Amino acid sequence: MARFAAGWRKYRKPGYYDEFDYAWTMSIDLDRCTGCGACVTACQAENNIPIVGEKGIRNGREMQWMRVERYWEGEYPNAKLSFIPMLCQHCDTAPCETVCPVSATYHNQDGLNVQVYNRCIGTRSCAVYCPYEVRYFNYNDHHWPKPLDQQLNPDVSVREKGVMEKCTFCVQRIRQAKDHAKDDGRRRVVDGEMQPACVQTCPAEALVFGDRNDANSKVSRSMNDPRAYHVLEELNTSPSVVYLKKVDADAG
Amino acid sequence: MLAETIKHPVEHLFPYSVPPEEYSPGMVTWYNSVCGMCPAGCGISVRTREGRAKKIEGNPLHPVNQGRLCALGQAGLQSLYNPDRLTAPMQRQGERGSDEFVQTTWEEGLSAVAQRLEMADRHSDSVVLLSQGVRGHFANLLELFMRELGSSRLLHYDFAHPHSLHAANKKLFGEDQLPYYDIANSRYLLSFGADYLNNWLSPVHHSLGFGHSRQGDDSARGRFVQIEPKMSISGAAADEWIPARPGTEGILALGIANRIVEGGYTGGDAEDWSAALTAYSLTRVAEQTGVPAETIARLAEEFTHAEPGLAIGGGAAGNHTNGVDTLVAVNALNYLVGNIGKPGGVVFNPAPMSSRSAIDRPSSRHANHQAMQDLAENARQGGVMVLIVNNANPVFTLPQSTGFKEALDSIPLIVSLSSFMDETTALADVVLPSHTYLESWGDDMPQPGVGFSVGSVSQPVVSPLYNTRATGDIILGLAAKLGFREAIPWASMEDFLKDGWREIYARRSPASDDFDSFWRDVLRSGVLGENVRRESTAAVDKRVIDGIGVAEPEFSGTNDDYPFILHPYMATSMYDGRGANLPWMQELPDPMTSIVYGSWIEMNPVTATEMGVTDGDLIRVTSEQGSIEVPLVTFPAIMPDVVAMPIGQGHDDFGRYARGRGSNPIQILAPTMDPESGSLATSATRVSLVTTGKRAEPAKTGGVARQLGRNIVQFTDGSSEAAGHSTKVNGIPIVVEPA
Repeated sequence: MARFAAGWRKYRKPGYYDEFDYAWTMSIDLDRCTGCGACVTACQAENNIPIVGEKGIRNGREMQWMRVERYWEGEYPNAKLSFIPMLCQHCDTAPCETVCPVSATYHNQDGLNVQVYNRCIGTRSCAVYCPYEVRYFNYNDHHWPKPLDQQLNPDVSVREKGVMEKCTFCVQRIRQAKDHAKDDGRRRVVDGEMQPACVQTCPAEALVFGDRNDANSKVSRSMNDPRAYHVLEELNTSPSVVYLKKVDADAG
Repeated sequence: MLAETIKHPVEHLFPYSVPPEEYSPGMVTWYNSVCGMCPAGCGISVRTREGRAKKIEGNPLHPVNQGRLCALGQAGLQSLYNPDRLTAPMQRQGERGSDEFVQTTWEEGLSAVAQRLEMADRHSDSVVLLSQGVRGHFANLLELFMRELGSSRLLHYDFAHPHSLHAANKKLFGEDQLPYYDIANSRYLLSFGADYLNNWLSPVHHSLGFGHSRQGDDSARGRFVQIEPKMSISGAAADEWIPARPGTEGILALGIANRIVEGGYTGGDAEDWSAALTAYSLTRVAEQTGVPAETIARLAEEFTHAEPGLAIGGGAAGNHTNGVDTLVAVNALNYLVGNIGKPGGVVFNPAPMSSRSAIDRPSSRHANHQAMQDLAENARQGGVMVLIVNNANPVFTLPQSTGFKEALDSIPLIVSLSSFMDETTALADVVLPSHTYLESWGDDMPQPGVGFSVGSVSQPVVSPLYNTRATGDIILGLAAKLGFREAIPWASMEDFLKDGWREIYARRSPASDDFDSFWRDVLRSGVLGENVRRESTAAVDKRVIDGIGVAEPEFSGTNDDYPFILHPYMATSMYDGRGANLPWMQELPDPMTSIVYGSWIEMNPVTATEMGVTDGDLIRVTSEQGSIEVPLVTFPAIMPDVVAMPIGQGHDDFGRYARGRGSNPIQILAPTMDPESGSLATSATRVSLVTTGKRAEPAKTGGVARQLGRNIVQFTDGSSEAAGHSTKVNGIPIVVEPA
């Protein structure tokens, strides 16, 4: 038990993952986000996310790993609407990781919160503990009417009934980029060499992805922006997604 | 690996015993091409593996979208791999509209059409070709084909074509082409109804510009003001959203213009402007538009002193009976602050890259509503013997009042070139199924351009899935059957395209390379840019200035019988309805309401309370032209006497994902037009709302749309003192001490 506690103390410490090669981070500029939803569809295409159908959505079974939340302020004629893309925050001290009875979700050495589909037994505890509500459970097996299945990305597994899933920061792309770097004889992936599908497509360039261990990376720069904040900061989850505050002259 | 093109389809029983050159298992091949989902003309890079398209991304080399892509563009794959695609040529068997078709061969299908085309009198203009709006060399091919047929009736038809904007630019600047609006470098954008981040002209390019103007320049943050009766996503993104009475946007623009002139406009034509605008005093404009006088004065002040400011107009503001005048008034603002031809202002585009006819005059063939009505009328009188429809769906996108569907009964032969069984194709006699854009050759000169000359080539990225043909090849096949060998000698669209690009190549002072390597380079990069720009001169004729003025908008239906103004708008995911058969687009939540899979009508919550209706009540919406039933959604940012409804759903056909979902607001629109541009005034219909007593709650993904103190979206007023902490963001102090 003492050993467990010691290990626990070690890698539940914020900054622990910064000692490794990469600490993948995404920044989302809310002053740029237009809510268009391109990230949502790009994610669906890249990650073989199933179509759940109207009935599925009515039953609360939607599967979009990336979603755009909307928040209204005020009433007509002074109503204002803000959008915020919400995805797995890859928290360094993730509440979901500690509750999994089979360690199907854990932190890898790049600071990613990963989900091992083969281990998952479907207790759904992680989804209950996630304060961001970004974990999605396969209540059903999903099918792609032919030939829609030809679009499926061979780099990403298709999940089956009874398995929890969520945003992976496009781990398949990260792996490819690392392999490329290795093949080229480089030690590190260059900033901007790899982008998750949502970041790649964002028309307003609101999303930035990179390695916060690299002080010169674009994402490190946006982390130092005075507008930077974490959603639900008070929960001390230490997320790897950084939001940049929306600028509103009337705020304050 | 970046490749230039795929080879011809492999026709072996075991297709990959000898794999094609660019096929190696596990290896990714990217093809650059052009997006075909909307008329913006973004460049795409398609990721293929084992001969199948896996993902579409923006082409980073393309100046329009610079590597970015919208949701609809991403969903192009589902149009390629759609389970409801047409797979082979068909001929109608049962009654027209009975959906009973029998499969036929290309030979028979083409012969049947060619025979009828031959019978049609060459000089009576009885053959009509109605195409979706197309550009590039394919547009040129259609011209050649129709000229050989001896018919002048080649119509391009897009529901969303900005007829009024073209007319307004022509009127004020004498410009046929749309100008380039340099949003990226503007620091103050005044948008009159143009939903530029969603679907107006070139949304991805505008989004890039928006992002850059907002946070791309450390020295100044662009300010955005949106004027519209119902908040669009561009309105949500704006710093200030101002509801003006529908149809009075132009009057508001002239009120601002008047303030600018009064405030010390120093141009040589100051007196003319002053005379033309005297009627638009603050008090009068405030009264007409419902926008407070101090707001108008402030907008004028801010706009004049912005460095630089840019005014754009379109969307609902251009879709009124005074649409052209409104957009002229908006353009006049740009003129008065002198931003024509300046960075961050209005920049005129050079002529398209190719000098072939039809490519030069992009808007001249576009059929406005008047032309579509005339077509329907002429068809009813028996003036149309053959109607060839290319990928357009007028039965869905024209109001019932046009009587287009009924007029089709009087046309002896209807041929449809389409990839899907849409509402128009369902009424065809011969269906010649076309490739999707991901299987076809083509090219595009984007309109509006980006201020310099751009051409991009669209190439097949996968082998055709079915027994379909590229539209270009279908036209060439018909031409061959009709014996147009001399004028149209090309064997395939690929040859025709290459011939066209040979001309472009010849006009460039060729470097050492030959055409083939030039062509390979163009295919690999997917785009060719030329540093051809144009001087933008801004002399406005005195007569035009004297004629400036915006009349009150007219609406169909009286205030008493029809108390609400219907504001139909194009939903993010559906465009004009073409996205409805893509499951990703059906499942993409509407950004403002989070609704999926259906239609709804938006109403101000206060009005709803007064009427005693609530979210999810099924409402009957009635105009003078008919009625539809649709669930109600209360929407915080809409004027009390306006109701808004998204366009795109309400298909009777168009595959399993689209059919029988929601309703189509276009159907009940009045045939009111803007007399100057002849375009449909889609925002000029009044409706009445009656509750049916039934419930029909729309499917939604989002929960409570208020923050409730959770502080999820945070704000700053932008001043550095208020900006808060700048400690290392990931290093929040946290104590984890097991007991």
